[in-house]
Amino acid sequence: MSKTMKIMMILLGLLVVLLIAVPWLVNPYVLQVLILTVTYSMLGLAFAFSLRVGLPRFDITAWWAVGAYSTALLMLKAHMSFWPTILIGGIIAVVLGWVIFIVAVPRGMIAFLMFGMVVAMAMQQIFGSVKFFGGWGGTGLVPNVTIGSFTFANKPELYYLGLFFLVVNLLVYYYLYNSKIGRAWNAIGSSLNLASAVGVNVVRYRMANVLIGNFFLAMAGSYYVAYSLVAVPTTFGFANSIFVMMYIIVGGITHVLSGPLVGAVIITFVPEYLRVAKEYESIITAVITILIIIFLPMGILGWIDRRVKPWFTRWGKEERKVLT
Amino acid sequence: MDLALFLQLLINGLMSGGMYAMVASGFTLILGVMGVFNMSQGHFYMLGAYLTFAVAVSLGLPYPVAVLAALASMALLGVLFHLAIIQWTIPHGFFHMMLVTVAFGTIMTQGSLLTFGYDAQVVPAMFPGSFTIGDITLNRGKLLVIVGAIIVMVALYYFMKTKMGTAMKAAAENREVAGLQGINAKRVFWVTMAVGTGLCGIAGALIVPILSATNVMGTNVFIRSMLVVIIGGTGSMSGALLAAFLVGIIESFAFQYIGQLNLLAIFVFVAILMFFRPGGLLGKPLPIPGQ
Repeated sequence: MSKTMKIMMILLGLLVVLLIAVPWLVNPYVLQVLILTVTYSMLGLAFAFSLRVGLPRFDITAWWAVGAYSTALLMLKAHMSFWPTILIGGIIAVVLGWVIFIVAVPRGMIAFLMFGMVVAMAMQQIFGSVKFFGGWGGTGLVPNVTIGSFTFANKPELYYLGLFFLVVNLLVYYYLYNSKIGRAWNAIGSSLNLASAVGVNVVRYRMANVLIGNFFLAMAGSYYVAYSLVAVPTTFGFANSIFVMMYIIVGGITHVLSGPLVGAVIITFVPEYLRVAKEYESIITAVITILIIIFLPMGILGWIDRRVKPWFTRWGKEERKVLT
Repeated sequence: MDLALFLQLLINGLMSGGMYAMVASGFTLILGVMGVFNMSQGHFYMLGAYLTFAVAVSLGLPYPVAVLAALASMALLGVLFHLAIIQWTIPHGFFHMMLVTVAFGTIMTQGSLLTFGYDAQVVPAMFPGSFTIGDITLNRGKLLVIVGAIIVMVALYYFMKTKMGTAMKAAAENREVAGLQGINAKRVFWVTMAVGTGLCGIAGALIVPILSATNVMGTNVFIRSMLVVIIGGTGSMSGALLAAFLVGIIESFAFQYIGQLNLLAIFVFVAILMFFRPGGLLGKPLPIPGQ
């Protein structure tokens, strides 16, 4: 293990300790915001995941809602436990996604983008208008998540549950990015024509990517129900996709795993600590995003790579191994 | 179905179709020529409606003046947006350009929310009332919107025939070759932006006496114009025009029979069409730079 790796491991360990200690360090309000940040980070990871194959997706809220609704309805109407509903919700999202995207993915990025936008809107309309899903008022109150005799009822416990889901997400994505299929995705993302010329089946690999993303989006939806205890159609509005895109850009578009997390924390907490009125918050977020896009196109982490790392010469020399 | 209801639905469909045609052709023009996926297109439409309200009601000027003011100010805002923000992000690529328009749209929405509030702002109709042929009653304001939309589309058609319009088409076809023919890309870009956002401004100004100005009107129209662009084929203007009226009419009839789920009806229609005609309604669309 090289010295750089050791430093990285120490920093990572410190970060883990910090994340575990958070509930004792902050007040309940900040913890609530952090739980939301964890959910949004999962959405951001899925977004960055399909951006990897050159498909920016606007339909994340649709699959997020599918996961949330399947968990909520299965727990309410079928009286199931929380854990199997994650799997069922994920499978529903994948199957439904396959049916819907079989027309959109082969048509390339622009059509996929627009189609996804419409899917998000239509899904929200369905959940709001169809009586079976509970209407615009949302589903009824879902029981708390339990494991054995332990109940996830308080904020810190729910925070740890979210952290668990986030770690599962990160591990699976890390594994996928570094596997053979991940290299094919990387090839598609860097050059579509070249990838198809060397024999990568672009449509199939893109489809696989989008569907895996769907599964994890549904998982984020299940977690959302676990802490909010209700699924309301207006939560899954189109605007959330926009915030998720901002996380990706602010964090750094090339850092597929850490970028969304850093972006989510910055976008959530910077307006919080600027102490501005609620009405001006989204304007500030938008201005920050525009400035970052113009002046730091590779995001905060990209800027650190380029400007800060060379100060520590060893880090500068070391070639980044994974994930350009 | 009796004739009166049929005509009512047809008029409603044509009216919203006219709106979608203007917003979508502006969108597809910007996408085709500049390669910018302009997410703030719907917000320009909303701002156009609010501006008409401000000029016609708050300042008390006549409605046609307000329409012209909305057109001019939205075109100007589009140019400023291009010069101040978009042109600096062009080197960074497609996704960055799209996100910058998203952020700008957020600023516009929130700004109009802070200025005009949550309430719907009503502009009185220029020709109030309706006229009747036999036992069929038609709203005059809606007919005016349809006529206005047709005039704007005809004007756009003749604009695309001028030297500037030809230059735009050339830049959409192949930017490098267009540059070699002596087309000034910078000027083409800002004119494109002005036309694209000006179309939204005038669409918002025309519709505001019928549907009063609200904060969410932009998103609604934008989603429909996405469908229009998918059906018409990305980058195709005539396809967008045809598809817009198609979407408007389908939506209007679907609303009568399945209510709130009308978006779903168009969506299913689009999915089926996309399966059988992947190139859009009118065949092969123009290529998008950078796709």
